[in-house]
Amino acid sequence: MKKILFIILSVALFTACERKIDEFKVGKGSANFTTYVAMGNSLMSGYADGALYQTGQKYSLPNIIAGQLALAGSGNFVQPMVNSEYGVAYPGSQPKLVLGYSSSPCQPGVISLSPVRSEGTMEPLQPVGYPVNNLAIPGAKSFHMLFPGYAQFNPYYARFASSPTNMVVQEIAPLNPTFFTMWLGDNDVLSYALTGGVGDTLTSPAFFQTAMGGVLTALTANKAQGVIANIPDVTAIPYFATIPYNGLVLTQSQADSVNMAMALYQLPFHYTAGPNPFLVNDPTSPHPMFKVRQMQAGELVLMSVPQDSLKCMGMGIINRVTFMPYPIPTQFVLTSDEVYKIKTTTAAYNQILAGLATHFEIGLVDMNSKLTDIQKGIVWDGVKLNTKFVTGGAFSLDGIHLNPRGCAVAANYFIDAINAKYGSTIPQVNITSYPGVTFP
Amino acid sequence: MRPIINQKKNIMRRITTLLLFFCLAATTLFGGGYQVGLHGVRNIGMGLIGTSLSYDASSLFYNPGGAAFVNDKWSFSGGVSLIMARGTFQAKNANYQATIKHELNTPFYVYAAFKPTKNLSIGIAVNTPYGNRLAWEDDNGADWKGRFLIKDISFKAITYQPTISYKFGDVFGIGAGFVYTTGTVDMNKSLPFEGTSGEGTLNVKGSTQAYGFNAGIMIHPDKGWSIGIDYRSKIEMKVKGADATFTVPQSLSTNFPANNKVDVMLPLPANLDLGVSYEFGKEKQWMIGVNLCYVFWSTYDSLVFDFETKTPVVNRTASPALYTDQMIVRVGAQYKAGKVVTLRAGGYYDPSPVKSDYLNPQTPSLTEVGLTCGVSVYPFKGFSVDAAFLYLVGAQRDGTFSPDNFAGTYRTGFYIPAIGLSYSF
Repeated sequence: MKKILFIILSVALFTACERKIDEFKVGKGSANFTTYVAMGNSLMSGYADGALYQTGQKYSLPNIIAGQLALAGSGNFVQPMVNSEYGVAYPGSQPKLVLGYSSSPCQPGVISLSPVRSEGTMEPLQPVGYPVNNLAIPGAKSFHMLFPGYAQFNPYYARFASSPTNMVVQEIAPLNPTFFTMWLGDNDVLSYALTGGVGDTLTSPAFFQTAMGGVLTALTANKAQGVIANIPDVTAIPYFATIPYNGLVLTQSQADSVNMAMALYQLPFHYTAGPNPFLVNDPTSPHPMFKVRQMQAGELVLMSVPQDSLKCMGMGIINRVTFMPYPIPTQFVLTSDEVYKIKTTTAAYNQILAGLATHFEIGLVDMNSKLTDIQKGIVWDGVKLNTKFVTGGAFSLDGIHLNPRGCAVAANYFIDAINAKYGSTIPQVNITSYPGVTFP
Repeated sequence: MRPIINQKKNIMRRITTLLLFFCLAATTLFGGGYQVGLHGVRNIGMGLIGTSLSYDASSLFYNPGGAAFVNDKWSFSGGVSLIMARGTFQAKNANYQATIKHELNTPFYVYAAFKPTKNLSIGIAVNTPYGNRLAWEDDNGADWKGRFLIKDISFKAITYQPTISYKFGDVFGIGAGFVYTTGTVDMNKSLPFEGTSGEGTLNVKGSTQAYGFNAGIMIHPDKGWSIGIDYRSKIEMKVKGADATFTVPQSLSTNFPANNKVDVMLPLPANLDLGVSYEFGKEKQWMIGVNLCYVFWSTYDSLVFDFETKTPVVNRTASPALYTDQMIVRVGAQYKAGKVVTLRAGGYYDPSPVKSDYLNPQTPSLTEVGLTCGVSVYPFKGFSVDAAFLYLVGAQRDGTFSPDNFAGTYRTGFYIPAIGLSYSF
């Protein structure tokens, strides 16, 4: 009897020790990931915190995807690496932003946490000297890819262009890609938005279609498979969504004086204690002298607005030196007309991209609706992410580009789209192992 | 009249045996699942049943109404279970695995009952009916993926239950105990805010005490038959003013006051148990029994943390648990193979109170199916060495803790050896 009991116990002990769950099975489905190439703009290049620097590139969206595709037979993914943690030096470039302490001139001694330029040696602009798989170029629009000699205008392309007279699409064929991801076309609308709608133009949807068609033709020339992402509504990103249109906070006595001044200037604006709309230019105003109006809900103040002028000089209300109405200059504001143009153009682009994805039989990542989700707030593994500047956890300190954790989330969206299109089982990445914003 | 020499020998035996109990009680640790069913090595051997039994002092816990039916004037029992927990986690849609670190959890019990008269029994039960202790580790030595939910938790509760039991003749008995519980909690998690020296962390550490009761009825309607009903009340474990220690980057310290206090509220569910058993065969060699245990889990609606110093990011949080009431089914049998050896076997089905969209790594509760066996050896009359073995059939479950979007598959396996001593005279 005891012997039998002993045998039963031994067997039970032995079997209880091995209790592993079956591991995730990676499969490539109908896709061929052998040679992976990425195309796009700064969002795909690893650009973050206002610079292209080494750690940003290590956590670039396509590099994160490449790490997972490597589990399904993808080869080496080469990027045009910057050997500096600060950025690439060229006329007008600045080192990356970090969170630091700063104070505004009108409030000496009041120190606040905000992005400041770091100090360090940037890499001199020079060709990397090797072919790369990540063809993403900060600043590039759709049609720039078909622009001969684009390297002479864009230093980031100059770093890896195989010839100074090349079109970017000419870099594709020598790589012989079997698989690609592309997120391109944001700058066709973003460049316009970043200048407050006055320093650039929106690419017309017809031209956008031609250019995108051309790029995809080049990418799929050798029957490469791939996935493209559509264009998010750029007005949702922190760069446009951080400073509210009614960010002018007044006390009752301040509001009283402003109201008296406005009466004096015969401007029909009334101010109250608490938040009030900023003043902006309005060329259509009937007023003989002051072509200004109050901002309306839905209009946006850009993060590039000079904060010191806003805080100390009366920008957006009344100039503290001249006591004249002081509208926020046009290049720092998106009016409702401009926001409308941005939104309708983005919608037109996305319709075109959906059509192209069908036509070229490739996958599509609906990054536009994903950004809407993030705007409302998402959570992964207990990490809450949203589009709030700095605290939202997904965007880098420039308010435009994703930080590594944001890139990891976007990479998972791409991976989901790849798996859906090609029946593959590429594992998602663990977003908790990617850094967010670093606080001092 | 017994010879005097024998009486002396008996007294010596009694003293040594009682000393053994104290040694056992003094050296044990404790822990286990959130509700632990291991309260008597003999009971563990027969599928954890006990509500309709009155063989020994464990009745004080299983059914105070049965304690008066124990024949001996004095009865003692004590024991400990060794939980060798093993659990793994596989993330959904990802090549990621983590493991619950091997830690020995040792729920224990000590029961002592005394019968001043034939129909009256008084006693005390000390045991560990609730607890939770685990620590997660990434299989590749990296930071565990669920660290923003929980890194490790140790929740320990010990109950002290003075009990009185009375039987009316040989058919009907009632009993009740006052339950005094002490509890400690110590948990760690990470916060998704990085500084130059790593991520933020939160440690919560505190202790509390709470009260409840345990009351039961025992009926012996006919020869061999026994019916027991027992109710153990809910116990509100409210840890007031536990130490909440935040470690965050310096620039965030105003939002996370370093030495905060927090109130943590965790209800221990009420139980309503019904047991039926039947003794038969030559000299009642055989016993079979069944227990239905209804656990009022739905009282655990959410885990509330209410911080004393509040900031925009540190305030009152209620993490939903949304447990549902469950019925545990237990069956067991006992066979007296003579004067020296008693054999037991049983099994039980303990469905998880956690819904699939609230399954979380803090309490990865899986539906359990357990098979048990046990043996008692009597070197002399009244004294037994009890051993039992519980084998938890491997279970696997997919789930997501939706408030934190933490998804994956959990698998657990346990084997629990238990050893105890019983002595009655």
